[in-house]
Amino acid sequence: MDHAAYVDAAAAALGLKLAAEHRPGVLQYFALAADMAELVQGLPLQLHDEPANVFLPVAPHGADPA
Amino acid sequence: MSLGDAAAMAGRVRAGEQSARAGVEASLARIAATDTRINAFSAVLTERALKRADAIDLHPQRAKMPLAGVPFAVKNLFDVAGLPTLAGSTIERDAAPAKRDALLVRRMEAHGAVLVGAVHMDEYAYGFTTENSHYGPTRNPHDPTRISGGSSDGSAAAVAAGQVPITLGSDTNGSIRVPSSLCGVFGLKPTFGRLPRIGTYPFVASLDHLGPFARSVQDLALAYDAMQGPLHGPASDDPAFVQRPIEPTSNLLDQGAQGLRVAVLGGWFRQMALPEASEAVDAVAQGLSTTRLVELPEVERARAAAFLISNAEGAALHLPDLRTRAHDFEPLSRDRFLAGALLPAAWVQQAQRVRYWFARRVARVFETVDVLLAPATPCVAPIIGSEWLQLGDKRLPLRPSLGLLTQPISCIGLPVVTVPLWGMSATQPHLPIGVQLIAAPWREDHALRVAAQLQAQGLCSAPVAKGL
Repeated sequence: MDHAAYVDAAAAALGLKLAAEHRPGVLQYFALAADMAELVQGLPLQLHDEPANVFLPVAPHGADPA
Repeated sequence: MSLGDAAAMAGRVRAGEQSARAGVEASLARIAATDTRINAFSAVLTERALKRADAIDLHPQRAKMPLAGVPFAVKNLFDVAGLPTLAGSTIERDAAPAKRDALLVRRMEAHGAVLVGAVHMDEYAYGFTTENSHYGPTRNPHDPTRISGGSSDGSAAAVAAGQVPITLGSDTNGSIRVPSSLCGVFGLKPTFGRLPRIGTYPFVASLDHLGPFARSVQDLALAYDAMQGPLHGPASDDPAFVQRPIEPTSNLLDQGAQGLRVAVLGGWFRQMALPEASEAVDAVAQGLSTTRLVELPEVERARAAAFLISNAEGAALHLPDLRTRAHDFEPLSRDRFLAGALLPAAWVQQAQRVRYWFARRVARVFETVDVLLAPATPCVAPIIGSEWLQLGDKRLPLRPSLGLLTQPISCIGLPVVTVPLWGMSATQPHLPIGVQLIAAPWREDHALRVAAQLQAQGLCSAPVAKGL
């Protein structure tokens, strides 16, 4: 991935104007996150290795028999 | 008057041997005398605290209150009625004052404790060093040239400085355990979902935990027990909160480590530690007569997962302000927030899958062990302004690296008690360092029992800093 091109495009799409003095730091931390992403993507997972975030439906107060 | 520990103070107040007002006045006097050198407090609530102390002294149930008259303080991401919830920022100064206290503040006060103030933190909890550019650094009470850790720096420093016997903080990637380690106090990060986060400023909803700091294991357990319990009424504001009954721990501490299987964590947890950190773990292992070594799989990837989830969720929360007033953010974390707002969704989703994969593998480890030992920080407290951490031949940026040993554990929400040891650093023997006592989910009692034994053996202690 061309980090600088991605960062500039994603920032523009999000309406995030990166000040010139912030951009080098943003690129540095984006590169650090990319290193982390390489690590998580390097773990071979199976189809049924589900994500950790689970949604619990919200019943109206008093309606849950539990 | 010395404050002493919370259990003894509450005992005297319950018995009518000391007034709650006297204890609160002593706390306020200690804060006034020492905080210009420490910079722990962002707000001192003199009027409110004295009024509350007088109410405790007249309370008909005072004799039954486990924390009767005990002064405490909270990280300034906890709502305190009448104050804007700063979360370490200047941006939130413009926010409306909180209408009521955070739920855990209310629970502490319902058990007799008295809130005396709010304490400093890294901006929006994104940091481990609290060199907060807006409010100044919180200085380590044991050596004011050094950091207190973060992001719950004020919480740890206030306890170490003897300003209050108990504080509350939060831990997303290590923010209770890192400052506990560097300031030499006991800290408890309970299981993810154990304590409700209602009325606190979020950082990363997927990973945020709340918990107490204290100078004794008994006080830690008293505060933790006071804050447990299910919620009644409509769906709460905290979707991660798990409705469990109160599982008291204070009455179990005398059991110590008896019957518990303890092992040392190897691999990553040895490689990412300076000798002082490994020696502290070895001293605890020796004290508990264990030589067993255990390795967890893929720890570095678990740490990376926590990093990505934190970076993306934390940034998304602040996107409106990042768009319009990025220059008002803390310079030390602003660029990290900006980068986090741009992460591809696939990275974060994969991180959540790795997180669950890791949690399942570690659960298997806990089938044959009850408590795991690891350093809480790679090193003792660095000098304020330090940029680098040298680990063998690796030169790492210090600020994110202070969480190297805590991040993989909070990634999967395990309960941890951090216990302080002294004299482990050959060059800085006056500084403490913490060891994590890590238990299986919902077994805070195991970690607290081991901590109590180590304290009874004299291996761990949290003395008030001298010379303040």
